[in-house]
Amino acid sequence: MSVAISVQNLGYVYSDGTVALEDVNMEVYEGERVVIAGPNGAGKTTLLLHLNGILRSTEGEVEVFGRSLKRLRREEIIRDVGLVFQDPDDQLFMPTLFDDLAFGPVNLGLKEEEVRKRVKEALSILGLSGYENRCPHHLSYGEKKKASLAAIISMEPKILVLDEPTANLDPRSRAELIEIIKELNEREGITIVVATHDINAVPELADRVYVLNRRIIAEGTPGEIFNDAALLRDNNLEVPEVYKLFEVLRCFGYPCEELPLSIDDAVAELTRTINERHIHLHIHEHTHEDVNRIRSKYEHHG
Amino acid sequence: MIEYPEIDRYASLDSPLHRFDPRAKLIAFLSLIFSIVLVPDLKVAFIGLLFAVFMLILSRIPLTFVFHYLEWVAIFILSFFVILIFTFPGEEIARFYLLSITAEGLYTGSLITVRAFSALILIFPMIGTMRFDTTIKALYRLRVPGSLVQMLMFTYRYIFVLMDEFQSIWTAMESRGFQLRSNFYALSTIGKALGMLFVRSYERAERVYQAMCSRGYTGNPRTLVEFDIRMKDYLLAVSIMGFAVSLHIASFTGVI
Repeated sequence: MSVAISVQNLGYVYSDGTVALEDVNMEVYEGERVVIAGPNGAGKTTLLLHLNGILRSTEGEVEVFGRSLKRLRREEIIRDVGLVFQDPDDQLFMPTLFDDLAFGPVNLGLKEEEVRKRVKEALSILGLSGYENRCPHHLSYGEKKKASLAAIISMEPKILVLDEPTANLDPRSRAELIEIIKELNEREGITIVVATHDINAVPELADRVYVLNRRIIAEGTPGEIFNDAALLRDNNLEVPEVYKLFEVLRCFGYPCEELPLSIDDAVAELTRTINERHIHLHIHEHTHEDVNRIRSKYEHHG
Repeated sequence: MIEYPEIDRYASLDSPLHRFDPRAKLIAFLSLIFSIVLVPDLKVAFIGLLFAVFMLILSRIPLTFVFHYLEWVAIFILSFFVILIFTFPGEEIARFYLLSITAEGLYTGSLITVRAFSALILIFPMIGTMRFDTTIKALYRLRVPGSLVQMLMFTYRYIFVLMDEFQSIWTAMESRGFQLRSNFYALSTIGKALGMLFVRSYERAERVYQAMCSRGYTGNPRTLVEFDIRMKDYLLAVSIMGFAVSLHIASFTGVI
């Protein structure tokens, strides 16, 4: 697998002296899905803004497909890396959706026919066909969020970078958006980088997780990261509820080697264990203690 | 709920003016507006006003909608009218205690009022008969300077966002017991709230700019526009502009 994004020793200080990033090292492989998790103010957005050259730090290096962003013009960078902003009202700045989706492709210098084709495709991928002439202020928040993803998809980037794609969405829009992002990765082979603290979305969106808190604190599969209680506590992160539930079940004697991270994993796990062996849950003297220990482990969120 | 300034609310109606090519419409109506506001003769200006009303009726935009917008401007214009009739030097025709009305004042005041109302009324058939983004695209196609077009574009896009933001600040204030009264405390609170709105807008502007750069913005607005100008558009434009010119011929030769 070739390296899509490589960040080396990146540091960034805001003009008021606040250190946003310090010695960040990170690699994203082609076709991979990487989640950057971290508390509020950890520098997630600042890091993402470096990935397509909007912010350029003098400290450290960002490379996309082996080419340093310092030596690339912005038009060249945005051909490869598309960045979806968190607030769709920042992202959608043109009067109509058509204009907005056409904005990127037109700037890439594509022919009119190709632009129209891409706008149509992007709208249909997001389920927004027929919305061409709608004004952004007439859309619901979920629709706006989808439209801002469509505005980047129409540019057909090889790497898609999303800032909090599931924040403030209702459950249905959230599920739809996650599904679309997964499909883009599976069908089109687009590399995905997502910054989020929506911990339940992590298992669905991540092959690998980086925990960022000004610097990279940890790196690993979602399972490895969720297993490290101290790491989660120090960085204000949580584990999915279903993960906690199975940890509790373990105290009652449920045999589970790898704790499931999502409902789908849990169903698969249950089916497998029930088929393979007889399950006997029981309460011993130490069960109560064990359960309390697990509860206190996650108590840092109140 | 706040009321959004939706000048293009009736853009989806159907009328000869709705079908009029946007570029031709802008040029024709702008020349008509300029022509009317420069007319020196009251009678001619009045004909202009009648024509403006005719255009408004032709556009089928509901009159209540238009009057609603005109109300506030009317207060402004009528105050000019009142000031002019009392202060313009000339032959006195009536007197209220110390204030005297002059014939010249009455004439000039009426002339300015009629011109202003004609121009205002014409705005509606001009930009109320197409979606505002079409107006912006027409200006873009007419090679109006890019920065001007972009200013209009962003105003149109973000005025609603800003209004929502102010609304939410306002709701937050009211939910904590703030009441609008005419005292210093209320004024200073509103001042601070407006200040916050400016700060938020400034920060948003920065993020929007980053989003634009992320999609290859280099300073020129570029967009795809599809307009189709036909013979009937030329004819309509030429006749409106012909009317605009004939107003001046009429007032110059004194035919009317």
